[in-house]
Amino acid sequence: MASTEHHDDHDENQLGHVASIKVLVGTGGTLLVLTLVTVLATRIDFGANINLGIAMAIAVLKATLVILFFMHLKYDKLFHAVVFVSAILAASLFVGFTLMDTSQYDQTNIWNPDKPPAAPIGPRATQ
Amino acid sequence: MSSEAHEPHGADDHGHGHGHGSRFIQHHYDDAKHQFDSGKLGIWLFLAQEVLFFSALFVAYVLYRNHHPEIYSYAHKWLQVKFGAINTAVLIFSSLTAAWAVRAAQLAQPKRLILCLATTIACALTFLGIKYIEYSHKYHEQILFGRYFDPCVSPGGVELLTRSNECAGTKTTVDFDEKGGTVKSGCFAEADLDRDRDKPGVQAECKVDEVHLEFYTPPTFKTSTNHDCTKVPIANFVGNNGTYTLTGLCESIIVKGDKNTVTIASVKHLQVQGSDNHVAVKAADLVEAGPVPPKEGEKPAPSTPNTITVDKAVSVDKPKIGATDSEVNADEAEHPREVNRVAIPNQCPEENPFEEHKVEPKKPCWRVAYQPQVCKADKVGPKYGIIVEYDDTSERGREIAIAADCKKPDKAPDPGDVLADKEQRLVLGQKLIAPTRELTTEQEHELEAAGPPPEHTNMFFSIYFAMTGLHGIHVLFGVGVFTWLLIRAIKGHFTPDYFGPVDYAALYWHIVDLIWIFLFPLLYLIH
Repeated sequence: MASTEHHDDHDENQLGHVASIKVLVGTGGTLLVLTLVTVLATRIDFGANINLGIAMAIAVLKATLVILFFMHLKYDKLFHAVVFVSAILAASLFVGFTLMDTSQYDQTNIWNPDKPPAAPIGPRATQ
Repeated sequence: MSSEAHEPHGADDHGHGHGHGSRFIQHHYDDAKHQFDSGKLGIWLFLAQEVLFFSALFVAYVLYRNHHPEIYSYAHKWLQVKFGAINTAVLIFSSLTAAWAVRAAQLAQPKRLILCLATTIACALTFLGIKYIEYSHKYHEQILFGRYFDPCVSPGGVELLTRSNECAGTKTTVDFDEKGGTVKSGCFAEADLDRDRDKPGVQAECKVDEVHLEFYTPPTFKTSTNHDCTKVPIANFVGNNGTYTLTGLCESIIVKGDKNTVTIASVKHLQVQGSDNHVAVKAADLVEAGPVPPKEGEKPAPSTPNTITVDKAVSVDKPKIGATDSEVNADEAEHPREVNRVAIPNQCPEENPFEEHKVEPKKPCWRVAYQPQVCKADKVGPKYGIIVEYDDTSERGREIAIAADCKKPDKAPDPGDVLADKEQRLVLGQKLIAPTRELTTEQEHELEAAGPPPEHTNMFFSIYFAMTGLHGIHVLFGVGVFTWLLIRAIKGHFTPDYFGPVDYAALYWHIVDLIWIFLFPLLYLIH
């Protein structure tokens, strides 16, 4: 029943999806190329934010490739995708909510026990 | 059913070839597919949990990076992109072999399965090996987390003043052995002295009023050094075959070693305790000379007397020559002590040089955290730094102006040489640390990397070690799991209807790879 003549398509006796060598090697090769690209992209100065954006975009692309092809999520049950993607969404929520009040700390002073800052009176001055 | 459940696996009625196929199909599952799907759901739930588990650290990372971008842009320069990139490639390749292992198991290709699993393990071990190289380098350079962050050198390779003074061989050393160095004064120069290279750290304290130049003497120790007593009025020399020149007024000098040649400008209190020392003093107040008193129970070693020449004794009454000679020693009959030859002109000085010299007031010994200052054409003015290290702890955290002056240089320095004014910048505590020309972003980064770290840089490494450490533990766990799989694969346990463990472990391994795919740019590739 487990002949080496197996086709890559889902057959009834086969558990799970069999990835073709082409897909596996292609994914691995693309990931290595993208790693090289992300290293080289850092050397070019696009400005800190754009550089970070490029690096993250490449990382997300690489992660997507890993998830879809190495982890077979493309061919897996929808429920598994729902479980995993919801975890990623939850993680994104954690990060996003943490950054929501970032601009509130601009006027933070470094604490000096000898000279504690005066208590603010009235509303904080706007820029 | 319940009675069957107690039967050992691989019982005849669940044998190979028909029905459930593999003997590893558990009785409580309907069939192989049922078992496989259950395990698969389990591993996906576990992976979802892993994502949430790591997300806590990513939150810490993002929050802190958002608030302190300067720390990230500075501290990541300590990490070597080379190592991170190699590790990324190694993990991607191992992910490929892990995925291939699943395929081999599904298609009943035992040799390929074993090869793929072994390659995955080898890659994981390579990853850990590179991690070890990185971690041990950071350990030795004290680039660690929390309060253990006390770096010996800045990312630009410039030595930093450390709290612990435990950096081995990285400090600027005054080469006593061959070239003959200069003992500079001031607390920073003293910190630069690494008197015993075999011993880690700098054996000098960050105090201006006193410096102990105690040389740990191997047999052929030669020194040649200048010492300015107007700045550091106390000096103790313990060494052999040294040549010292002391300028200015010295409060107190003790020479303990043998065969030293010491030239002193003026001294209030000179003690020569070794033997065969040649000491020339221009002006002295009180001179004591004699061999080192033997320890209790030890016989004094036979010694050659010291030769001390004093040009001008300041007060006639005070000189107390060869004080130790008057002490009666029980062993003296056996080892008659030769009297030290001390030549002192018998005259009164007309003036007292000691009244005129004033010891310089204590200099600050600080280390400043700062943002590198770049003089833009339209922006001139003081920038502020914060004292992060100071002898007087009450001064710590104080803001000081670090660059108030952005003038055009008299002559244009080589634009490519960013560190041209390195010397000037690197004197810790010196106030003007700004380069006096406009820099490109790249030069700005290079300059920044040469300076001391911004305040709280230890946070970066706390996060770095937490993230890479947790990831490393996952890799280590993966090695264990894949070794177990390899053993089972060699035993031939895996068949197309039973390869769940290989599939689940591969999924786990892909998540480990996935996390590294994010860690690499976030930690190593900060622009």
